[in-house]
Amino acid sequence: MDTITLSADLDALTKISAFITEAAELCGLDERATWQVQLAIDEAATNVIQHAYDPGNSGTITLGWVREGNRFVVTLHDTGRPFDPESVPLPDINSPLEERQIGGLGLYLITRLMDEARFDFHPQEGNVLTMVKYISVSPRDDVVLMPVMGRVDAVTAPELNKAVHTQIEAGARFVLLNLSDVTFLSSSGLRSLLLIRKELMTLGGELRLAGLQPQVHEVFALTGFTQVFAIHATTEDARAAFGLGRV
Amino acid sequence: MEISHRPLNRVDLLEVAGRVDAATAPKLKQQIEALFADGRYRIVLDLAKLEYMSSPGLRVLIEARKRAREWKVTDLEGGDIRIANLPPKIREVFDLTGFTSLFEMYGDTVGAVGSF
Repeated sequence: MDTITLSADLDALTKISAFITEAAELCGLDERATWQVQLAIDEAATNVIQHAYDPGNSGTITLGWVREGNRFVVTLHDTGRPFDPESVPLPDINSPLEERQIGGLGLYLITRLMDEARFDFHPQEGNVLTMVKYISVSPRDDVVLMPVMGRVDAVTAPELNKAVHTQIEAGARFVLLNLSDVTFLSSSGLRSLLLIRKELMTLGGELRLAGLQPQVHEVFALTGFTQVFAIHATTEDARAAFGLGRV
Repeated sequence: MEISHRPLNRVDLLEVAGRVDAATAPKLKQQIEALFADGRYRIVLDLAKLEYMSSPGLRVLIEARKRAREWKVTDLEGGDIRIANLPPKIREVFDLTGFTSLFEMYGDTVGAVGSF
């Protein structure tokens, strides 16, 4: 693992950015993925620099990276106060300007831009944030992309179920649902997606979701299902992730 | 980050270039607040040369727009922060964070300035 240790102040951000950009390019991430990683790591480092240490009691921040197969793994280590991601409010991404609150955006961006993010605290070592971006190799050619539109609720969820099921019966195992045109998703919709996911996993397949609008993503976030489903910013990201691990 | 300021008749044009991150966002905030202090609340941000913006930059933009809109000439006319030439990469951050609907955006500075 290649690492860099810097004093935790804001001047470190440009060095961190240069370090991680070079690493990402070395690992073969494309320009867009490199930029997403750069932003996610910058947000994570900013959180450490601004919140981990008491004022006047400066500490360090250590960044490391390694390529494990098709996974670009980045770790961020500090010895400041324990960080609990649960304590950060969900960002407010739907309300109008006057009511918009601005907390939690950094953490939110990390989880949206990276394929995996895990926070660990060890009493001796401190905080370790492990983030993974999948490196797209030749993507699977058997991914079935299905666009979903409009409202997914108690009335329409059975139709979605049926449409996916027809594909599964025809042999589909790697299913990508493009939700960018979904305006509303209810708990019935979530239940449907859970059933589809379970069925595909049982068959050795994968379900991935892409393009969620903020209000739809919020439904997943509020119910904790962002940890259950493989959610990607775009269908390109999702395609690249099939067959790489986390389902 | 580099900011260049062009005062026009009724509007102030700020060109923001380079990186806006936690280290540089305070400078952007300062520059906007200096305009507010002069009673200048109609601002166009030309972001054509913006290479990078993380959440501290987003926070500055949202707080500035809230402040600008509190200033009113009449019920229909007042202050605002409007954006011109948002680069596609930064647009992606706006989309992810629900910022796209919070700002009036224009394809060029002429349109943005003329909108006031």
